[in-house]
Amino acid sequence: MTALTTALARTEPVAWRKPKRHGGLSAWLFAVPALAVYVVFLVYPALTSLWFSFTDWDGLSPTYNVVGLDNYAAVVQDPVVATAAKNNLVWTVVTLTVPVVMGLALAILLNGKVRGKPILRLIFYTPAVLPLVSIASIWGWLYNPQYGAINEFLRLIGLDALAQPWLGQDSTALAAVMVPAIWLRTGFPMLLYLAALQGIPKELYEAATVDGATRWQQFLFVTMPSLKPAHYIVIALSLIDSFKVFDLIYAMTYGGPGTTTQVMGTWMYANVFQYYNAGYGTAIAVVITVVAIVVSIPYVLSQTREHSR
Amino acid sequence: MTGNAFTRRGFLGLSASAAAAFGLAACTGTGGASTQNSAPATKDMRMFTYEGDETIGLLKTQVKNWDATADMTTTVDSLPGSGAAQYPDKLRTELLGGKGPDLWRIWGGQIGSPFATAKQAADLAPYYEKFGWGDRINENAVAGMTFDGVKSGVPFLVAAVGAWTNQELFAKAKIDNPPTSYAELEEANDRLLAAGITPLGTGGKYGWHIMRLFEYLLESTAGPELHDKLLVGAESWDRPEVVEAFTRFKKWQDKKWIPEGALGLDPSDIEPAFVQGKTAYTIAGTWVEAAFIVPSKKPASDFSTFLLPTDQSVVRHSGFVEGYMINANSGNKDKAAELIDFIVKPETQKALQNTSSTVTGAEPEKSKLPLSAEWAEINKTSPFYTIQDQAFPKKQADQYFTVQSDILQGKITPAESAKQMQEIISAWVQK
Repeated sequence: MTALTTALARTEPVAWRKPKRHGGLSAWLFAVPALAVYVVFLVYPALTSLWFSFTDWDGLSPTYNVVGLDNYAAVVQDPVVATAAKNNLVWTVVTLTVPVVMGLALAILLNGKVRGKPILRLIFYTPAVLPLVSIASIWGWLYNPQYGAINEFLRLIGLDALAQPWLGQDSTALAAVMVPAIWLRTGFPMLLYLAALQGIPKELYEAATVDGATRWQQFLFVTMPSLKPAHYIVIALSLIDSFKVFDLIYAMTYGGPGTTTQVMGTWMYANVFQYYNAGYGTAIAVVITVVAIVVSIPYVLSQTREHSR
Repeated sequence: MTGNAFTRRGFLGLSASAAAAFGLAACTGTGGASTQNSAPATKDMRMFTYEGDETIGLLKTQVKNWDATADMTTTVDSLPGSGAAQYPDKLRTELLGGKGPDLWRIWGGQIGSPFATAKQAADLAPYYEKFGWGDRINENAVAGMTFDGVKSGVPFLVAAVGAWTNQELFAKAKIDNPPTSYAELEEANDRLLAAGITPLGTGGKYGWHIMRLFEYLLESTAGPELHDKLLVGAESWDRPEVVEAFTRFKKWQDKKWIPEGALGLDPSDIEPAFVQGKTAYTIAGTWVEAAFIVPSKKPASDFSTFLLPTDQSVVRHSGFVEGYMINANSGNKDKAAELIDFIVKPETQKALQNTSSTVTGAEPEKSKLPLSAEWAEINKTSPFYTIQDQAFPKKQADQYFTVQSDILQGKITPAESAKQMQEIISAWVQK
């Protein structure tokens, strides 16, 4: 009997441990409130939107017709979608790489012996906390072809030929909107990198110095590998930020001149909210979502591998 | 694989899906195809408008006066600044969200039309009968807010668009009288430019402001009858008169008669800049006097206004209608109609400084608004054609603005512009 009890005592925890590996029912119970919010405010609207992408709903009327994949076929043939997709790609590459590189450079600079560090940090980070619409207005005035500070400055220093209608011509409009995007998005990676830099043990640099490593070699083989976790978070957040571009384009150029600076977000918005073409607009939204998921897969996988070590 | 790894992967996967789903969910409206039921009547109402800072105070005061007599509390919300580019989007979003205003201000034609055809706006025929609006309000204006035979709006403003000039700058360029032909207008532009003055103030952001120039040029080359047919797609745009209008349009930019980089300028900066003396004239309506000239404290005599010369036997001007619609789902439709009735009384219209009222007896006073009073006289002899962003649905209007943009940038020729316009309009008409 004692032996049997002992045996049961030994086996029971094993029997109970298996379901506990995944938290058991109680874990799901705790998750129910969050899941309910998730389902009601994300899953249900997303599925509803998916459904509307198969309809010709105008976005206002109480009725609509199911049109199958017609909206998706139209997306493929829409020349503005091609322009918008190209602009999204250019925007993502530029506003991902430039602010990250500049943020890293500024962080390294501010991590050294520089006077007035707190003030400089504040100056570099301030654009990130300004409302985007204010930024759009400020830069809109700066870009004014006749009275804007940029053209005035160019004229002042004798570079009249470089004065341009920055937002009013196809050749410069997108780049002109990217400049404030870079300006406002450099501060955030700078702060993250700065925090990460301060966490690197000084002993690593001392050892590298003893081994005869140059400053460049120290940067490549000590600093950069130590910043790996920061790289992940900075690049992931910047990528998401770049991908969801909408406000700056909408406020500064309204997608123009013509449709030159349309991005997927603004074109989707135009169709859903302005052209009373909600079915087609939601099809564009679905395409954006699918692309976002595909793009985020490498990040999710890398993070999974990182955490499972 | 450990249990922890599974959980984290699940979490990360879920996070990624959540972010994506959030994007999709946030991008689109939901529940818009719901049934329409009137809410119960309450003592609170909400009015949505796009009055600017210059006039919103006047409206709020009048609404407050009405509230006091009607035992109601009406909140007035405004979204000024973007013209017809953004306001209808906001209104539509509010209506779909189920918290739409009880009544709202809106333009007529193709801008107000979607709210009527989707039955978001109530049929106001019973109220027209009850309050006798049909007898008091300009018949043509009522037609501008009647869609498929349903009176869906009550127009209170019929705006006439013409040239507004800065007298000092015209005098500086030695121009004593307003031009009476298109050739004289071009000559005036040359003189202004020679005097170092930008002739026409216009802005191409959103497309609708610079459109006022092109539609004038089209009226002058095509004439009233053909212009009207072009607007409804009854005649092909691929024709010499349209090509000539686009040729002239491009000429205005090439000769620098419009500001450098006009395509990128914000319309909301144009009229203030004109009043400040940065451009010699602008194409606008009588709101310029009440909203910009009067607040600037400059005397009205510093400015002048004239009908743009078209060289046609009947000289028309561009015009548009604005009015109020009532939410079909509002529980306060009767009260909203009472408020509208109060607003379209001549004394209220005068208090609101509506310089282009549709209501008889609310004409602007010559002593207070002399330039607007001039337009009241001009309107008696000059008919108007529908302003083009009210003539076309928003999508076609935007495509048309793209053509404007392309020709001004030299990407297409006037002939190609005319062809593209025909493709845009015929696709719309066929649909």
